[in-house]
Amino acid sequence: MSPEILLSVAFVGAALTYILGRISSSLRDVFSVLLSVALVAMVALMYGMSGEEEFYMGFLGLPLVLRYGTLQWLFAIAVSSICALSTVFSLSYMRGKERLNFFYFSMFLVEAGMLGVVLSGDLVSFYIFWEVMSWSAFLLISYNRGPALAAGMKYIVMSVVGSVAMLVGILSLYATYGTLGIPEVASHMASASSGYILFTLIIFGIGFGIKSAIVPLHTWLPDAHSEAPSPFSAVLSGVLIKMGTYGFLLIMYVMVGIKAFLELGSGLYSFHYILCWLGAITAVIPTFIALLQNDAKRLLAWHSIGQIGYIILGIALGTSLGIAGGVFHILNHATFKALLFLTVGAVEYRTGGVRDLNSLGGLIKRMPLTFVGALVGALGIIGVPLTNGFVSKWLIYKTLILNRHPFLTFAAFIGTWGTLLSFYKFLHNIFLGQLPERYKDLEKAPFSMQLPIAILSLAVVFFGILPGIPLKVINKIGVSLGFEPLKVSIWGLASETGALNTLNIFTAVLVAGVIVWLIFRAGMKPVPVPQDNNYAAGSYIPRDRYIYTAEFYSPLFRMIRPYLRDVVDEFYMALSKGVRRTSDKLRRIYVGDVGYYVIYIILFLALLIALKIWLKLW
Amino acid sequence: MWVKAVEIIVSPILAFVIGLFFMGLARKITARIHWRYGPPITQPLIDVIKLFTQRSVSHGLLFDMGVILSLAGSIALVLFIPFGGICPLESSGGLLVILYLMLLIPLGLALSGGEGANPNISIGISRKLMLSLGYEVPFLLAVLAIMTHYHTISAVDVVRAQEGFRWALFSWPLVLPGLAYLMILPAMLGLRPFEVVQAPQEIASGPMVEYGGKYLALVQIEHALAVFVTIALFVDLFLGGASNPFFFFLKMCVIFLLGMFVNAVFPRFRIEQAVRFLWRWPTALAFVGLVFTLLAR
Repeated sequence: MSPEILLSVAFVGAALTYILGRISSSLRDVFSVLLSVALVAMVALMYGMSGEEEFYMGFLGLPLVLRYGTLQWLFAIAVSSICALSTVFSLSYMRGKERLNFFYFSMFLVEAGMLGVVLSGDLVSFYIFWEVMSWSAFLLISYNRGPALAAGMKYIVMSVVGSVAMLVGILSLYATYGTLGIPEVASHMASASSGYILFTLIIFGIGFGIKSAIVPLHTWLPDAHSEAPSPFSAVLSGVLIKMGTYGFLLIMYVMVGIKAFLELGSGLYSFHYILCWLGAITAVIPTFIALLQNDAKRLLAWHSIGQIGYIILGIALGTSLGIAGGVFHILNHATFKALLFLTVGAVEYRTGGVRDLNSLGGLIKRMPLTFVGALVGALGIIGVPLTNGFVSKWLIYKTLILNRHPFLTFAAFIGTWGTLLSFYKFLHNIFLGQLPERYKDLEKAPFSMQLPIAILSLAVVFFGILPGIPLKVINKIGVSLGFEPLKVSIWGLASETGALNTLNIFTAVLVAGVIVWLIFRAGMKPVPVPQDNNYAAGSYIPRDRYIYTAEFYSPLFRMIRPYLRDVVDEFYMALSKGVRRTSDKLRRIYVGDVGYYVIYIILFLALLIALKIWLKLW
Repeated sequence: MWVKAVEIIVSPILAFVIGLFFMGLARKITARIHWRYGPPITQPLIDVIKLFTQRSVSHGLLFDMGVILSLAGSIALVLFIPFGGICPLESSGGLLVILYLMLLIPLGLALSGGEGANPNISIGISRKLMLSLGYEVPFLLAVLAIMTHYHTISAVDVVRAQEGFRWALFSWPLVLPGLAYLMILPAMLGLRPFEVVQAPQEIASGPMVEYGGKYLALVQIEHALAVFVTIALFVDLFLGGASNPFFFFLKMCVIFLLGMFVNAVFPRFRIEQAVRFLWRWPTALAFVGLVFTLLAR
């Protein structure tokens, strides 16, 4: 399967979805599901192939090239699968909303853009697809109007800043080397001065950093993720922000190369070490900010930033274990974060758009499968053993410890505890505790929502117990980027300084669980009683009065809240307010009366003449 | 192969027996400090057996599964801890797996308690999680100091490196994280002055309040194993483990007695005071220790 056909199908399919939607909405639904599944199948068929093909000659004298290999395949399969699952999820989530044709069209346009970014083999087509992706994402973020418009505006302003930075980088590379093919640039970069390499890394780093939301470039993300429609939040958080990390991999290890990258600067001031620290900060502070949130999607959004921190920590360290952990975490975060957003979407769908953690509760009784999905997703993001998140975090921790970075490891560990606290709150406030009276007759989520949730839950557990399957592919990527191969087995990996064997962990927990369960069964059968039976000892409790899940960690909040202001966001907002105020003053010059403009022109000419006479400038 | 199989069966049983013994010892010692006679030392075992024969109530599937998950997690955890030469699953991920399996215990109880929906449970769990965040900061710093100093992530290697009385607790700079770990042990074991989670006079045993009969028995066993794991980990990391289970047990007794003496004479912190204390002195000690460890190599 050639990538050319894949991309044509994706783009033409997007347009067709819109056209079919004008004819009949059910036709559009069927077609969009078929299209998204077909894209997954087509990407899957590309497994193991690698190559390059030109699809357009002579764009300003530059050939536009598509390039594919294992790295590209891994990202492409993640993109297409997550998009397919959210498309299926959208079927019922979006039913009855307006502008549906537009919604599906934009969804597929984002997907096509992302596939294009991943598969492009030169920087011009990279930039074009990047912009397609960014702008169509903007359309979807502001789909809900209202506060979503402001969120979308924030996103697109930051995104444009990133694109401009990237464009400057691309133009500079073109001016220096006269070519923009990625392998050609890479071969030239090998002999570049370290100053120029640093410039390239920083200028592209701004673009990719904004997209992947690294602190201090993260401020668009919490608003955008929480305001977008939930299926798109899953795509946004699952794969779209990963395009930034793909960009980092591309610039750091494909274009600059490991050796030049790691030798940039020295000791504490080396570039990769500073990037690691940015990753560590990104892993800790947003996670604790997430703890303070009361909006379910906002909580997840802040955690997206936190998890990006782990990914950056892994890939910036520049060791084979680190790169494997980082890339694996990209894949894992795509599965469990998409899963979590979809479960929140299902809850939102059934409760009529409620996301406030303080007004939900007890939904486990009404939506059991959604709860299981949320639980698995939460275990994955915490990194409990036997989920995929554990394996990737294990790899990152191990390489950090063995390379003597205990403080970075500490940051990552504490981030995990912050994640545990906030995800317990998430699960407890939505699914556990008392069921409010108004949700007593809630139905469980429809099948088209349960299916993606079930598939993603299975993926989280499957990759956690058999991490060898994805790790084999990731190992190939590491080798193709020039890292030493790891000794991967199906249960994890073997090495001299401490192996990982998920089979042992799995068997131990499973057997212990079965034994405990048998002991449990052997005891007397428990009497099922309503929740407040014990507590109230049979007397009447007024319903919906006691919401003791609100302010769950309030003593802790009182201690840490003063330290957790998003200073960066405040700075950007002050900056934008300042710009707006100055622009507003400048605008007053344009009064709309032609007479004034004639006076401006005459004054300007007078100024020029005066300069000519007195200063003799030219 | 057979040795391994025997070890896998024996070590959880040993942990269970030792943990229950400690719980009995705790009651006896506290009683003697309070000038009482105290119950027989086998009382916790008698309680567990008695509880199994009693009736209990359940609030749903997760209420049951959470308890089972928590206990299964602690049994699995025991298999990763070196116990005087016995470590059934030594090469399966080392200390990192231990740190992560330790998450399962509070998580399982929290999930189970969540379905109980009793205000006392909610308060207890939120306190438990906050307290964990409090002691995990110095705890992780201390464990990282050990891992950095010995340059390994395997608990067995740490024990091996301390053979011949080169105990980490008595060596510079690991003495600092060692002291930090000693200071947080009462918090990890849920003893006074950090007994905020159960606080019987205040929130009626917190997370335990809805448990009765066999649930309470399983939670008791889980608690016994948690006591075992916490102390055994300290002995492994800072007291050089031991070459045979008996000496290991003696070291554990010494550490446990220290904790009991503190428990018997101190009143209880409030949760903020507890977290603030944990983030101040033990964290500072462990942090300085880690800096010195990093500089020393």
